[in-house]
Amino acid sequence: MTAAGLNCVDIAASPGGSPVLRGLSLQIVAGGRTSLVGPSAAGKTTLLRVIAGLQPIDEGRILVNAVAIDHLPPHRRGIAMVFQEPRLLGHLNVLDNVALPLRAAGMPRAARRAIAAERLAEVGLGGLAQRRVQGLSGGEQQRVSLARALSADPALLLLDEPLAALDPNRRGELRRLICDLQEQRRLTTLTVTHDRSEAAELGQRIALMLEGRIVQHDEPRALFERPVSAAVARFFGVANLLGDRGGTLAIRPEHVRLDPLATDRRGVVLEAVYAGDHVRVIIDCDGRRIHAHVAPGAAPRVGEQTGVEFPPEHVWRLPSTSAAAEEATPT
Amino acid sequence: MTEPRGRLGAALIAALFSVPLLALVTRAFADSWRAPALVPQELGLRGVRIAFSGETGTAFLNSLQVATLTVAIALILAWPAARVLGERRLRHPATVFILLAAPLLVPSYAVGSGLTEWFIRLGLDGSTTALVAAHLTFVLPYVTIVLLSGFGPGLTTLEEMARVSGLSPLRRLALVSLPASAPTVAAAALLGFLVSWSDYGSSLAVGGGRPMLPVVLLPFVGADPQVAATLALLFLAPALLFLVLTVRAGRKPL
Repeated sequence: MTAAGLNCVDIAASPGGSPVLRGLSLQIVAGGRTSLVGPSAAGKTTLLRVIAGLQPIDEGRILVNAVAIDHLPPHRRGIAMVFQEPRLLGHLNVLDNVALPLRAAGMPRAARRAIAAERLAEVGLGGLAQRRVQGLSGGEQQRVSLARALSADPALLLLDEPLAALDPNRRGELRRLICDLQEQRRLTTLTVTHDRSEAAELGQRIALMLEGRIVQHDEPRALFERPVSAAVARFFGVANLLGDRGGTLAIRPEHVRLDPLATDRRGVVLEAVYAGDHVRVIIDCDGRRIHAHVAPGAAPRVGEQTGVEFPPEHVWRLPSTSAAAEEATPT
Repeated sequence: MTEPRGRLGAALIAALFSVPLLALVTRAFADSWRAPALVPQELGLRGVRIAFSGETGTAFLNSLQVATLTVAIALILAWPAARVLGERRLRHPATVFILLAAPLLVPSYAVGSGLTEWFIRLGLDGSTTALVAAHLTFVLPYVTIVLLSGFGPGLTTLEEMARVSGLSPLRRLALVSLPASAPTVAAAALLGFLVSWSDYGSSLAVGGGRPMLPVVLLPFVGADPQVAATLALLFLAPALLFLVLTVRAGRKPL
């Protein structure tokens, strides 16, 4: 099966009777890797469940490779899904868990085990084929789950917060593995995460979902540095939204420069919190709270006066359709 | 260190449960065992001869047939009921649950007597159908309640995984739902079998004179302890076999 694009058109869905998806549209090019981010209860998991067929839609169309699939049951959609928890079958060994979709397709045992062994090797678990799944670590279990999804040779791979239950090191390893496998196979992939940094690493493009709709779908840099609205800016950590001549200027805290000698704009440091790789500083500039990230060692102390500069190349004016000018809002 | 201790503990528990069984076996083969002697004065097969001279063989087969059929039907009916209740898909689950469990509040003889009136009019009294239907009234609630304890979000999530892994509904049932819930199904089947197998009241009421093992056994209790012990051992055998099978099924699913 060749990799196919995904096209969701005006999707409405109401799991449990309350509307969650409200006229949502999303397109992913064939072979593309998109991250879906958004706050809790935005509808990210519901969208994945709708695409997979686990949740019915009220309105709209879902097309994979230009073919409507919304009327098909989940097992006929050619879509594989990796869940937040691995969902492995305890009565089967690792190899037979991976071979499950091939068994569903009626493939003979020897053939399906050979393919499952290949998928296991691809996820770096070639030596664990005969192990019971209960003895695996969380990271290994999630790799088995990924191998199972790949063994189905899907047209579209959906991943619902696949790294959420892992420690930071395991998250990094699995993130790289997902990206590598996607690129090797040119597999259309949609990954849900609530972590914007992870979204940038996992997706060639990011779709931000707010209140049941996609509000911006673009390259990661665009969402971080050229948000289309104050809400998008806030979600992506643009802590400084400044009213300016009827519009709103956005500047990321890491782009704000603090220069004790600068005279144009000065303020008093209200807060300076060490955060490992940077110090989070809040400065009061004429009643406006400006957020800045400063390298440890270069940060001013609380109560000190400092100059504040906004490099013009990093200042972004929100489109005029965006919300009215707002004061800087902490994220 | 832990393993020998565990084995010793298991042996002690087994010994504890074996004491009444040992007394039963001794009683069954004691042609003469007068108190206060701790061992029989005379061993023999009188109990076996008397126990198997009447309708015991037929009663054994009747009870086995009825219990097996009852459990099979109860599992088929209870599965969807427990799924619906377990997944909280009903608006008033408590009401449904109370209705389901209501037959357990009534003695089985009373249920059987009530049903007999209908079975006579339908020409079913004494039939296997009547006995299975009567047993189902109280086996079904037990089986549903036990299955209900094993159904919940865990099974649903596995079934969702199976759906997106390409498994059709039948394959999903065979490859995921049943194996994943095998220990619960085994426990429910065991309990259902034991309840049906040992039922006296409704078997007597609905049986219409048809020999069933508990009905055959009861008159000997008190009247002839040796025959009663022999029948009790026979009564125990399929139950123990079923227990072994279900424990194995629970440990190593399909």
